[in-house]
Amino acid sequence: MSALPSLFAAASLPAEAGLNHYLLVSALLFIIGFFGVLLRRNTLVIYMCLELMLNASALAAVAFSRYNGTIDGLVFVFFIITVAAAEVAVGLAIIVALFRLRHTVQVEELTLLKN
Amino acid sequence: MDPAQLASLVLLIPLASAAVIALFLRRRGAPASWLSVAAAAGIMVVSSMLIFGGQRNFPGSVEWLRFGGFAFSFGVKFDDLAALMLFVVSFVGFFIHVFSLGYMRDDPAKARFFGGLSVFMFSMIGIVLADNLFMLFVFWELVGFSSYLLIGHWYERQSASDAAKKAFIVNRVGDFGFLLGIVMCYWLNHTVNLTELAGQQTAGGLVFSRAIPLLLFCGAVGKSAQMPLHVWLPDAMEGPTPVSALIHAATMVAAGIYMLCRIQVLMVPDALTVIMWVGTISALYAAVCAIVQSDIKRVLAYSTLSQLGYMVAAFGLGSLMPGPAVKTALISAGAAAAMFHLTTHAFFKALLFLGSGSVIHACHHEQDIFKLGGLAKKMPWTFLTFTVGVFALIGMPFFAGFFSKDAILYLAHEKNSVVFSVLVFTAVLTALYMTRLWRLTFLGEARSEPAAHARENGPVMVIPLVLLAVGAALGGYGFFYDTLLGGAFKGVLALVPEPEGAAHWTMVTIGTGAMLVGLISALMFYRPAAVDALQARVPVIFSGLTFAKEFFDRLYGYYVAKVQQRFAMLLNLLEQIFLSGWLIRGGASTVGLLGMGARVLHGGKLHVYVYWFLLGVVLLWGFAAGLF
Amino acid sequence: MADFFFYLFAFLTVLAAMGVVVNRNAVNAAMCLLVSFGGVAALFTLLDSALLAFVFVLVYAGAVVVLFLFVVMLLDVQGGDPRKPYRPLTAAAAGVALALLVTGLLSFAERGRLPGSVPVTAPGFKEFAARLFTTYLLPVQVTGFLLLIAMLGVVVLSKRLETRGAAK
Repeated sequence: MSALPSLFAAASLPAEAGLNHYLLVSALLFIIGFFGVLLRRNTLVIYMCLELMLNASALAAVAFSRYNGTIDGLVFVFFIITVAAAEVAVGLAIIVALFRLRHTVQVEELTLLKN
Repeated sequence: MDPAQLASLVLLIPLASAAVIALFLRRRGAPASWLSVAAAAGIMVVSSMLIFGGQRNFPGSVEWLRFGGFAFSFGVKFDDLAALMLFVVSFVGFFIHVFSLGYMRDDPAKARFFGGLSVFMFSMIGIVLADNLFMLFVFWELVGFSSYLLIGHWYERQSASDAAKKAFIVNRVGDFGFLLGIVMCYWLNHTVNLTELAGQQTAGGLVFSRAIPLLLFCGAVGKSAQMPLHVWLPDAMEGPTPVSALIHAATMVAAGIYMLCRIQVLMVPDALTVIMWVGTISALYAAVCAIVQSDIKRVLAYSTLSQLGYMVAAFGLGSLMPGPAVKTALISAGAAAAMFHLTTHAFFKALLFLGSGSVIHACHHEQDIFKLGGLAKKMPWTFLTFTVGVFALIGMPFFAGFFSKDAILYLAHEKNSVVFSVLVFTAVLTALYMTRLWRLTFLGEARSEPAAHARENGPVMVIPLVLLAVGAALGGYGFFYDTLLGGAFKGVLALVPEPEGAAHWTMVTIGTGAMLVGLISALMFYRPAAVDALQARVPVIFSGLTFAKEFFDRLYGYYVAKVQQRFAMLLNLLEQIFLSGWLIRGGASTVGLLGMGARVLHGGKLHVYVYWFLLGVVLLWGFAAGLF
Repeated sequence: MADFFFYLFAFLTVLAAMGVVVNRNAVNAAMCLLVSFGGVAALFTLLDSALLAFVFVLVYAGAVVVLFLFVVMLLDVQGGDPRKPYRPLTAAAAGVALALLVTGLLSFAERGRLPGSVPVTAPGFKEFAARLFTTYLLPVQVTGFLLLIAMLGVVVLSKRLETRGAAK
C-alpha cells in the first residue's frame, strides 16, 4: 500500500490527493470505457461502457467544481445524471425493440442504417 | 345615427344578405328571394335617409393595411355626385329586385341568383361610396366578379358560361390599365385618396401626366364597354333579363362613367380628347350594329353601348382648352352632363330591359323579334311603359332622355362640330333601330305561337315597370329633382349645361329633327314582318352591317388563337427547359448528389461512429493543446 | 486518512471499470459496473458533495444498473461473447486511444499541474438547492420536460412493436 505513494512520487505527483489525481482517475475511466466501446460486441455491454465514459466526465466536473470553489459544476453534474438516466431508459427501449426485430444484440449484425 | 354609420349600414346590408343566403339558404329559393328583396328595400330606405338627410362630405374612414408610409383604407366620400349615383343604384336596384321576384319565380337556382344580386349591390355601393382609388379598385373587381356570377347563372348552357368568361376576361384587360393608372397616380402624387387629390389640385401641387388619366380610362373602357373592349356586353345578354337590366344597363356599366367623374381632377386636355373620340366612335359603331340585330335584348345591349358612348363623349367634351381655372369649370360641365344622362339612362334603360323581360317571360323565353308581334293588345301595361321608355331613349320632347341628350348635343355643338355631327347622326340611328324594335315587337299580328298566347304578367312585374316609367318620363325636369327630391343633387345637376336663348331653340330643333328623321324612316321602312326588311331589300347593307358587328369578335378570336396561343406555347417551352428543368430539377438533383455523398458516411456498424468519435477527440485535444 | 480512502476507492473504481470491459458475461459486466459506480460515489463524497453521491447511488446504481440487468436478463442472450476477429482499423483506433492515454499521463507528470489545487470551503446543500431554483430554474424545468418525453418515448417504442407482433 505504501508503494503506491512512492509510485506516484516517482511520477512526480504529490502523494496526497489533489485535483490532478481526480483528473487522472477520470481520464483512466474514460479511456477504459472507450476501449470497451471499441472492443466489445454485445450492444448492452457497449452501452455500459458508454455510461462509464459519462461517469468519468461527471467526476472531472465535480473535481473541478470543488477545487475552484464554485457549485456550478455540481449543478451541472446533477443535470448530467438526470439526462443520462433518461437517455439510458430510451436507449434500452430501443435496444429491446431492435432485439425483437432482429433477435440479436451483436453489434455487427445491426447494420440496417448502412448507407 | 350619424351619416358615417348610415353609409356603413348601406354597404353592409347587402353583404349580410349575401352571406346569409350563401350560408343558409342555398337550397331554399323563396326565402332567399324575399331576403334579397328586403335587403334591397333596406338599402333604398337607408340611402334615402343619407341622400335626403342633407349631410355631405362627412368624414368616415377606416385604415385596413399599412406598409410603412403607405396606408390602404376604406372610407366614404359622400358628395352630391355619390348621392346621385347612390340614388340611382338603390332605387333602380330595388325595382329590379321586385321584378325578379316575378321573373325568376320558376327558376330552380333562384337562391344563387338572389345571392348574386346581393353581392352585386354590395360591390356597386362600395364603388359609389369609395373615397380612394384602391378601395374603388377592390370593389370594381368585385362588381366584375358578381357580373360573372350572374351572367353565367344558367351555366349549363355553354354559351352562357362562355359569355361570363368573356365578360370577365375583357374586363380584366381594362382593369390592368386601370391598376397601372392607380399605381402611377400614387407614385406621382403620393396619394390615391380622392379628397386629397382634389385638395392638391386646388393647391396647385398635382402632378399632371397624360398617362394617368388615360390608364385610368382603360378601366372605364373595359367596364363601360367602349371600343375596343365592347365585345363582352352583347354576349352578356345570356344572363337573365333582370341581370341585364341591373348590371348591364343601369348600374355596373355606368360605374365607368362614375369613375371618370370621380377622377376628373386628374384630367388633361389631351386625355379628354382621346376620351371624347373613343366615346363618339363607340356610340356610332354600336348604333350601326344595332340596326341588324334580331334578338330583343341584343338590340337593347347595343343601345346601351351607344348611350354609354354618349356619356363618355360628354365627359370628354368637358374641356378642350388648356388653362387651369377654365379647365375645372368645363370638366364639371362635361361630367355633369354625363351624370345627368347616366341617371335618365338608368331609368329608361332599366325600364326597357324589364319591359323586354316582361315580354320574354310572357312569350316563354322567345327573344327573336321577328317571331313576336301583336303584343300591344295582349300586354297593355308592358306596351305602355315600353313606349314611354322608347320615347325617352330616342329623345322625344318632354321625356327625360330628350333633356339629357340635349345637354350633350349642346356641349358637342359648342366644342367640336365633327363630334356634334356624328352624335346627331347617331341620334338618327338610335331612333331608327328603337322604332324598328318597338314596331316589330308590339305592333302588327302575332307571328308565332308563344306570341299569340302571351298575357300580361302579374303586378309584381308590372308595378316596377310603371314606377320606372314615371322616372323615365319625369326624370329630365328640374322640378323633379329640386322639388320632389328636395334639391339633393344640386352640386352635380346645377352644372349641367343648358343652352340659352337662340341656342336653346337651335338645339331643340336639331335634336327633335334627328329623332323624327329616324322615327319616320323606321316606320316607313320596317313593316311588321317575319324577315328583316333591310335584309330582304338591301342585302348588301345588311351584310355589311353584320360584318361590322362581327369584326371585333373575329379580330380578337384571331389574335387569341394565332398570336397569343403561340406565344403561350413558346413560354411554356422555355419554362419547361429553364424553370422546371434547370432550376427545379437541377436544384433537386444537386441536393440529391450531396445526399448521396453524405450517405456514404453512414456506415451501418456502430464502430464506424466510434472511430469518428475518436477522431473528434484527437482534434479537440489538438485544439486545446494549441496545435491549431 | 482521506488520502488512503481516495487511493482505495480510486483503485476500486478503475479495477471495476476494467472488469466491465473484460468480462465475457453481460451480467458480470453489469455487476462490475455497479461496483465502479459505488467507487465513483465514494469519490464524490471525498470531494465534499455528499448530495451528489446520494443522487448518484440512487439514480445510477439504483435505477440505471437495475434497468441494465433487467434488459440483459430479458434478452437472455445465450452463449458468451466470442472474441472479435482481428481488424486493422480497430487495432489502429485502439492504438491511437492508448497513445492519447500515455500522452495525457505524461503531460500530467510534466506540465499538468493545475494551479489552485487547494481545496476551498465546500458549498453546502442550501446553496445548492437555492441555485437550482433560481439561476438554474430553466434547466430544471427543461429537464423535467425531457424526462416526460423520455417516458413517452419509451412507452411508444415498446408499444409499437407489441402491436406489430400482435398483428403478425
